[in-house]
Amino acid sequence: MKWPAIASLTYKETIRNRILINILLFAVALIALSLIIGDWSLGEQAKVIKDFGLSAMSLFGLLIALFIGIRLMVQELEQRTIYLVASKPVRRWEILFGKFAGLSLTLLLNVILMLLALWAVDWIIEKRIDFELAAAVVLIYVEILLIVAFALFFSSLMSPTLAAVATLAVFIAGHLSPILRDYVQLHPGSGLKKLYLAIYYIIPNLENLNLKMAVVEHLERPPHAVGMGILYGLLYLSFVLTATCMIFEKKDLK
Amino acid sequence: MTCFAIQTNRLRKVYQGELGQKDYVGLEGLDLEIPAGEVFAFLGPNGAGKTTTIKVLMRLLRPSSGSVMINGVSNTQHQSMERVGYLSEQPNIYGYLTAREFLDFIGKLFGLAPSVRRKRIDGLIGLVGLKDRDRTLIRGFSRGMTQRLGMAQALMNEPDILILDEPLSNLDPVGRKDMRDIILSLKAQKKTLFFSSHILHDAEIVADRVGILDHGRLVQTGTMQELMGSGLKTIEIIYSIPEAGESVLGLSRERIVRQGDRTLTWTENMESAQEILGKLLKNGGKVFSVTPQRQSLEDLFISRIRG
Ligand SMILES: Nc1ncnc2c1ncn2[C@@H]1O[C@H](COP(=O)(O)OP(=O)(O)OP(=O)(O)O)[C@@H](O)[C@H]1O
Ligand SMILES: [Mg+2]
Repeated sequence: MKWPAIASLTYKETIRNRILINILLFAVALIALSLIIGDWSLGEQAKVIKDFGLSAMSLFGLLIALFIGIRLMVQELEQRTIYLVASKPVRRWEILFGKFAGLSLTLLLNVILMLLALWAVDWIIEKRIDFELAAAVVLIYVEILLIVAFALFFSSLMSPTLAAVATLAVFIAGHLSPILRDYVQLHPGSGLKKLYLAIYYIIPNLENLNLKMAVVEHLERPPHAVGMGILYGLLYLSFVLTATCMIFEKKDLK
Repeated sequence: MTCFAIQTNRLRKVYQGELGQKDYVGLEGLDLEIPAGEVFAFLGPNGAGKTTTIKVLMRLLRPSSGSVMINGVSNTQHQSMERVGYLSEQPNIYGYLTAREFLDFIGKLFGLAPSVRRKRIDGLIGLVGLKDRDRTLIRGFSRGMTQRLGMAQALMNEPDILILDEPLSNLDPVGRKDMRDIILSLKAQKKTLFFSSHILHDAEIVADRVGILDHGRLVQTGTMQELMGSGLKTIEIIYSIPEAGESVLGLSRERIVRQGDRTLTWTENMESAQEILGKLLKNGGKVFSVTPQRQSLEDLFISRIRG
């Protein structure tokens, strides 16, 4: 197994890449927000902080996944650093998977630190730790991984700019996809029904990975929401990664 | 069946043209057979397809057709690279690592144990002369230093076969000497060496056999003797002689090049050279130099490619 070596290299590369600044920014934003809403009722304060915190985590994660994910392989090819790696007795998929795993580790650290910051600020307000937040964060992390996989997939097929647009489109469509399904159910005669359904089935339903509202508002969650979300996300992920590996396997490293 | 260290069979590589552009045939029907222990210089002008060939050998490019065997194993299998060391053309290496960290990473890709890696890294850092820079970031390396590190990583697995793309370019005179010494010591260790260059002098010194590539086709291969033996030889004489003595030599006008008081002439064989020298001395001339000019690889090269 050679991919762990590539993963640890990628981790090393990406961890120094603005990740700490990102976490700092996140913490500062949280604290600033908590000061602004300082005279609201405690319950309201906690709600707003959690809502903002989880949304920001999702957004920051998305941006890092998108930009670093797309650069991950593209940079290796552009700078030709890949030559001395891909010419070793290593399978191509191990290079790709190693890259993915390394960035995943960086993002995991990132998400954990953000969660700790959120817990700290929430503790100052509520004087208790809301462990429910972790449930939402786990699924946010799975979503981020899925975005990395799509970024890798698209960047192996098209220019970095196009790949960024395509990945972003998947993200947006993924959150809208349940709306499409509902629309089709409400208007069964719609002419574009097949297209909508196709989009619904091809694009991952990212709302399956969204527990933010449920956690913040203490709503009742569907049973096994976290477990099913993880399963759904990882299945989809392995699908996208496998496809990307197959493309990369045949690719000329010019 | 004998098994070659490197063997290609009707290798062809077409670069697919981007939207609207024509396809480009980078390699056409390339057959190479490099026996183990041979030093083979792969020569050709810029754009001949040397790098293309080497990238196909190293599994970086997929051939459009044809096949590559390394030590009898098809290079479609990644294991075929186990005993190969490769230095890419103008290598680029991760700037955020130190030389040591990079070599350690390469060692891991070869599946070497930590203790083996450490020992080899120490040796290689010394061999390529990076002793006092081995713990600084590669980001700050010059081209020449990166090239040295590139050579070190090519030797990390103690390979039997070395495939080097322009190993002697980007180096200062000291660097060239160091690199050539490394290549000569690898030759002494009976390693198979396949290196590309467009500087023929490099090949003349170290190669057993030479292949000349042009426009993606192999136009000639042969041992150094075969290639040089056919060369036309001339002997150049530089002399000076008082004006009056000139005619005594009986040289034809187109064989005389004057530069101040010195004159250059040339002839095809030793006998006539000796005759000229005799006359020169008898008539009060002075001889500055007598230089036999064997046809250089350079000339051969140009005649092959122009012809
Ligand atoms: N990625 C590519 N896409 C299209 N054409 C390419 C590509 N890479 C190389 N070529 C073309 O293939 C030909 C051979 O290039 P190659 O780099 O193999 O030459 P070379 O012999 O190594 O030259 P040099 O001495 O300059 O290194 C060139 O005409 C080049 O333009
Ligand atoms: Mg080249």
